[in-house]
Amino acid sequence: MYGWNGKVLDIDLTGLTYKTYPLDMEIARQFIGGRGLGARLLWDLVGPEVEPLSSENVLIFTNGPLTGTGYQTSNRFSVSTKSPLTGTVLDANSGGFWGMQFKKTGYDALIVRGKAQKPVWIELKGSEPVFHDATDLWGMGVFETTTRLGQNNNKRNVLCIGPAGENLSRIAAIMNDRERSLARGGPGAVMGSKNLKAIVVEGSDRPEIQDKERFKFMLYETRKLLAASPLTSQALPEFGTVVMMNIINNIGALPTRNHQMTQFEGAEAISGEELTDKYLVKNSSCWACPIGCTRVSKTDKVEGEGPEYETTWAFGAQCGVDDLPAIIEANSRCNDLGLDTISTGSTIACAMELSEKGFIDSDLRFGRADLLSRCVEDMAYRRDLGADMAEGSLRLATKYGHPELSMSVKGMEMPAYDPRGMQGQGLLYATSNRGGCHMRGNMLGLEVLGLPKLIDRFQVQGKSSFVVLHQNTSAAIDSLVICKFTNMGVAEEYFARALSAVTGIPYATGELIKVGERVYNLERLYNNREGFTRDDDSLPPRLLNEAPTEGPSKGWVSHLEPMLAEYYRTRGWDEKGVPKAHKLEELGLAGLLE
Amino acid sequence: MIDNRIYEMFREIGRDLFESNMISSHGGNLSIRLGDRVIIKRRGAMLGLLKPHDLIETGLEKNDSGVVLASTELLVHRTIYMNTPALAVCHCHPRTAIAFSLSRDELVPIDNEASYLLKKVPVVTEEFASGTPQMANKVANALKNYKIIMLRGHGSFATGQTLDEAFHWSSTLEESCQIELATKIINEPFIEYRGMSASYSKF
Repeated sequence: MYGWNGKVLDIDLTGLTYKTYPLDMEIARQFIGGRGLGARLLWDLVGPEVEPLSSENVLIFTNGPLTGTGYQTSNRFSVSTKSPLTGTVLDANSGGFWGMQFKKTGYDALIVRGKAQKPVWIELKGSEPVFHDATDLWGMGVFETTTRLGQNNNKRNVLCIGPAGENLSRIAAIMNDRERSLARGGPGAVMGSKNLKAIVVEGSDRPEIQDKERFKFMLYETRKLLAASPLTSQALPEFGTVVMMNIINNIGALPTRNHQMTQFEGAEAISGEELTDKYLVKNSSCWACPIGCTRVSKTDKVEGEGPEYETTWAFGAQCGVDDLPAIIEANSRCNDLGLDTISTGSTIACAMELSEKGFIDSDLRFGRADLLSRCVEDMAYRRDLGADMAEGSLRLATKYGHPELSMSVKGMEMPAYDPRGMQGQGLLYATSNRGGCHMRGNMLGLEVLGLPKLIDRFQVQGKSSFVVLHQNTSAAIDSLVICKFTNMGVAEEYFARALSAVTGIPYATGELIKVGERVYNLERLYNNREGFTRDDDSLPPRLLNEAPTEGPSKGWVSHLEPMLAEYYRTRGWDEKGVPKAHKLEELGLAGLLE
Repeated sequence: MIDNRIYEMFREIGRDLFESNMISSHGGNLSIRLGDRVIIKRRGAMLGLLKPHDLIETGLEKNDSGVVLASTELLVHRTIYMNTPALAVCHCHPRTAIAFSLSRDELVPIDNEASYLLKKVPVVTEEFASGTPQMANKVANALKNYKIIMLRGHGSFATGQTLDEAFHWSSTLEESCQIELATKIINEPFIEYRGMSASYSKF
């Protein structure tokens, strides 16, 4: 077998038992791996009757046929579950080393069911899992847990939760390799609900490649393309993802003070340039990645990876904070406690606005950099107002009577691109299957960076075609699984050829993207089954009704409605947002509804 | 009602195609996909001198009154959209590339830019050129694996997310063929400067 290992490990924590069985290769061909495979398995395993934090929910860790092959950025892996934050289908993926090591254990998927009687951690050394008592690790931060369990980048890799996951925060992340994260949608809470502290992998099997010569050519060409792109060879290595701060601020699409504005007067102080000049210790990279966008930063109090652009925005512009050391420290606390930085920062911003407007009684105010790290800790340990904030911004704002102040879609906090200045991005958020998210397709390339070519960011007519294509492409990339930054320098046709060389199965570029479309529609079916409708494909009222009064996006609101109607037609969905029978037939999904 | 921004895009690319000698006065075609709709040049309109009323909107799969006015090549554009992820199609008549297509089954660039961007351009053959299902299927099938292909003795079909991307591949191909033609005039031994270039024909 080439590319895939052809094996699934299925663990039931309730009885601390496991079984292994062959991967259904027809499913593998149709959904590839990663997010696609996870969504397909989740469809069968977790129905609408299952509460996300109950023992009936599952965690499905998946890699893909490219994982561990050495193809550029083939380090990634994915986790799929029902989200405790949104109630939707969820997958989150992460880089680092764990995914590559997981692949070497000989499995394509690891399913974790049930709930252990007391805290446990799993050691997967070779093909047989061993269950260990984790009582002494429970309550421990991610950094110490990772060290204690023997993290060794190329040999033994640790994935774990921190106190936030143990305390069932709905925005808790699963962390791997110390500071990489499966962050969004609360998978850490699902792991905590199972009394599972950590999974340690140590493998030795390298994946087989069918056409080594062709694969070598793809490696060579991909390296050339990445080296030639200024984004992947200069901007990201030199400044990290925070290089976007000034660019997005300059076009008036930087959400500021809980999306009350679209430009931040303190953007320069929290920019990639500032981070590099004053706080950068060194660059770092994930396994098999020539881009190396990871930054190790240092302040008087902390040293560690990050912060990324979204994190810097969430604790920065979104909270009205221009104090970079405070942001770096809040990021580090999130990593150690196991919290999603986007949702955490945006929930703090929501609390700041609720507080400023007198809807809650607290000392939180926009610009209070001194309160960021304390808030993070309160959320992880569910202390005081932190107990409400640990539920995410929508539940927080709803509890205090103002759900409209949550800057979220389907309950997930949106990231750092304001839809009023990027019309396509608004449609993308509204229709994202896991909620407000920039990793389910991103219009940044087309609407801002000119990748592959620049389109008008305010144009409404025709935007759905771009959004659909990019959502499908993202789903395909997430199923391989590789890093989306690669796609900033390398077109999908190379990924299709690399996949064909590795597996021996010919995938044309269009077929690879068709896999992404299949995955996207399956996820939609899942959400429909959970009761999500057209009403959920929306944006916070602020973005639809309140236009910025100054800056390059002055006068613009999101024109979501016409784009959404066009989007459904483009997708082959009915006016309620349900995939039509002919579309399901075309994608081979019709049988799932029988 | 077609957004003026879309018209401007057609007008500019159409003008550039004509001015760069990649089409005759009435040759070539451009289209974009907007969801379940297609916008394409009106039949008989001149790409180099497009007016707003020269753009026709019709269904991607379903016919409507738009097909009365649409280009005779509507079928091939629709077939491409239904079989590939393309959102834009540029069809033109690059003269040097057409000349090479008469004697080759694939065009493998030797210049750096086209080697980098295209690697290889397959040549497909179809006697019945414009608007037939046979031609549409052959072109669309070839474009499943390549962003630009040549129809032997006729011209190129390029796809992209935008019209300027599809135009980019078209002009890159013609430039590459002109360079190769120039090397034939110079007629000196070729010094290989590209790693793994022998693999290009397998791309």
